[in-house]
Amino acid sequence: MGSGLRIRRFVKYNRPGMALVIALFLLLITVLINPKSLNINTFGSILVQTMLLSFAAAGQTMVVISGGVDLSVGSVMSMAAVITTGIMQGQGGRFAQVILATVAMGAAIGLLNGVCAVRVGLPPIVITLAVSYVVTRLQYVFTGGMPTGVAAALFKKTVQYRIFGLIPAATMYAVVIWALAFFLIHRSRFGKQLYLTGNNESAARLNGINTRKIRVLTFVLSGVFSAVAGVLGAGYMGMSQCQLFDNYAYNSLVAVIVGGSLFVGGVGSYFGSITGSLVMIVLSNGLTVLDISQPVRNLVLGLVMVILLTLYNRAKPIRQ
Amino acid sequence: MAEAIRRRWGHFRRQPVFTGFCLFMAVLALNIIIQTPAKFFTVSNFRILLSKNMPLILTCLGQSVLMMCGVLDLSTGIQLAFVNVIAIMLPQELGVPVGLGWACALTGGVLISLFCGFCIVKLRLPALLTTFSITYIIKGVNVLIMGEPQGKVEKIIYKTYDSVVLGFLPFAALILLAVLLVWQYIKRTPYGKHMYAVGNNPRNAYAVGINPERVQMKAFLIKGFIVGIAGLCLTASNASGNPLQAEEYGIRSLSACMLGGMNFGGWGTLSCGLFGAGFLVIVQNAVYYLFNFLTKTIQGLMINSYWQNLVSDTIIFLGLLATIITAKAQRETLRQGFVKQLKRGEKYGG
Repeated sequence: MGSGLRIRRFVKYNRPGMALVIALFLLLITVLINPKSLNINTFGSILVQTMLLSFAAAGQTMVVISGGVDLSVGSVMSMAAVITTGIMQGQGGRFAQVILATVAMGAAIGLLNGVCAVRVGLPPIVITLAVSYVVTRLQYVFTGGMPTGVAAALFKKTVQYRIFGLIPAATMYAVVIWALAFFLIHRSRFGKQLYLTGNNESAARLNGINTRKIRVLTFVLSGVFSAVAGVLGAGYMGMSQCQLFDNYAYNSLVAVIVGGSLFVGGVGSYFGSITGSLVMIVLSNGLTVLDISQPVRNLVLGLVMVILLTLYNRAKPIRQ
Repeated sequence: MAEAIRRRWGHFRRQPVFTGFCLFMAVLALNIIIQTPAKFFTVSNFRILLSKNMPLILTCLGQSVLMMCGVLDLSTGIQLAFVNVIAIMLPQELGVPVGLGWACALTGGVLISLFCGFCIVKLRLPALLTTFSITYIIKGVNVLIMGEPQGKVEKIIYKTYDSVVLGFLPFAALILLAVLLVWQYIKRTPYGKHMYAVGNNPRNAYAVGINPERVQMKAFLIKGFIVGIAGLCLTASNASGNPLQAEEYGIRSLSACMLGGMNFGGWGTLSCGLFGAGFLVIVQNAVYYLFNFLTKTIQGLMINSYWQNLVSDTIIFLGLLATIITAKAQRETLRQGFVKQLKRGEKYGG
């Protein structure tokens, strides 16, 4: 009974740990079905992709904790990738300009999202979806549908190179970004106010927190984090395309929810989102290894989300 | 006499449809000026406008039925593609007679709508996120059935759909009239009242003996029929199949309904959705003619389709923003309804 209770408690309350277990389980299944997929290269690429997704999920985590949803993550990432290759054109020494331009772009779009969702008071999911359509169209207008340029060779190396063939060089970016996100969410005054706002907005306001400012800030930070993720994504891919990272909007959202955040707000952790990203990447890696086509993949992703919502996000019945 | 007119006007101003009507009339005037009255008021112009945009208009009607009950469906757009795929593939691959195939497609639309309803109403999941995820599921199913855009429709079908009855009434308008007539009947049954009660407050509705779940499921059933018809209209107007089209109709219909003065639950009529849809359609049309006008007058100006897409998506976004202004122009009742909708919207969105 004691161990049974402990397991039940683990499943219910330790969502990040549960996500790790699921990831391990999925990896095991993939390897069992296709033993050839067990090589050092696969692990390396799983690590890099998990990092990329976890960068995008950093902002998403904040938005979800504050009680919103940001679906413009993907289009901001694609836009950032297009800008990155457009500015770099394969030449080194332009990293500062790239970061400046993309972060400004991400912050501007985030601010637009935030103002529309918080000040104007439209449902965040609708407004961020509408904004993401506009941003996607802007990519096509700016590039004529065909983005030019490639990422600089040195920059590509800092993302793609594998130390000992396993640990990706992108880890050095990850250390900085993870530390920053962890500090913002769990150690700063902003983070504390964020949790309070998400938990009970009117109580937070009565305690003197400027809840509107906090919620707009989450959207701005989400835009900035997605922009940085887009830059690194361009480095990982080496080139860019319109709508290259669009699926990151949905994937980051699912990753955050798998990692234990709740849509009602006030619950969640960044470590959970990182483990959630790992689950998503292992799942998609498994689907690739098993040679599963794109439509079935869409189906699986949609079902995963509906199942997650059913498990953790059901409203109270009317009949009580 | 003047007193009576003023009273009528005052009454009309308090109607939910007032803002939508004003917006619609404003852009209509603008469009007539851009297109010149002589070219606008022709039967063929109305025929093209209606037959091209009937899927969107019907989708908006379906969405407003849902919003009356306080629920919504973002996956409506891709459901049109689902109906379209079935209507094309059944006759083409299995040799089913076209009529039966199209009936199956309509049934498919109803079933998929009921599936959404089951998830939202019976499982009590947050409507926006759930239907957003269901979009992915339906997309996957669509591509599984039909790998790439293909197929064709018999000539008689799209000829009929594009035809003009009695020399002045486009066939597409007949479909719209039929849907509106059926709605007029539904509105007058007790069920019509129940929808408003449930949309306003499901708990209170339950307390007075209405089953909220059944009312909302019925709304999904009605929406399924409307979406099924819209999908068939899409098939007839495109005369081919595409598994990934019309996805953005979901959010477009939502913004149209909000523009038309619809709120989440208990406020607004079907005409709100109608005028909201009309607003989007006319704006799109006006932008098209404006671009044509610009390229003709300014030498060397090239505008590709990317620009048109950008403008039409920006208009959806601005339309969503415009809901604040329209709400301000309305009376206290709508303002309160709007605040409530935002609270509910927040619940759904977050």
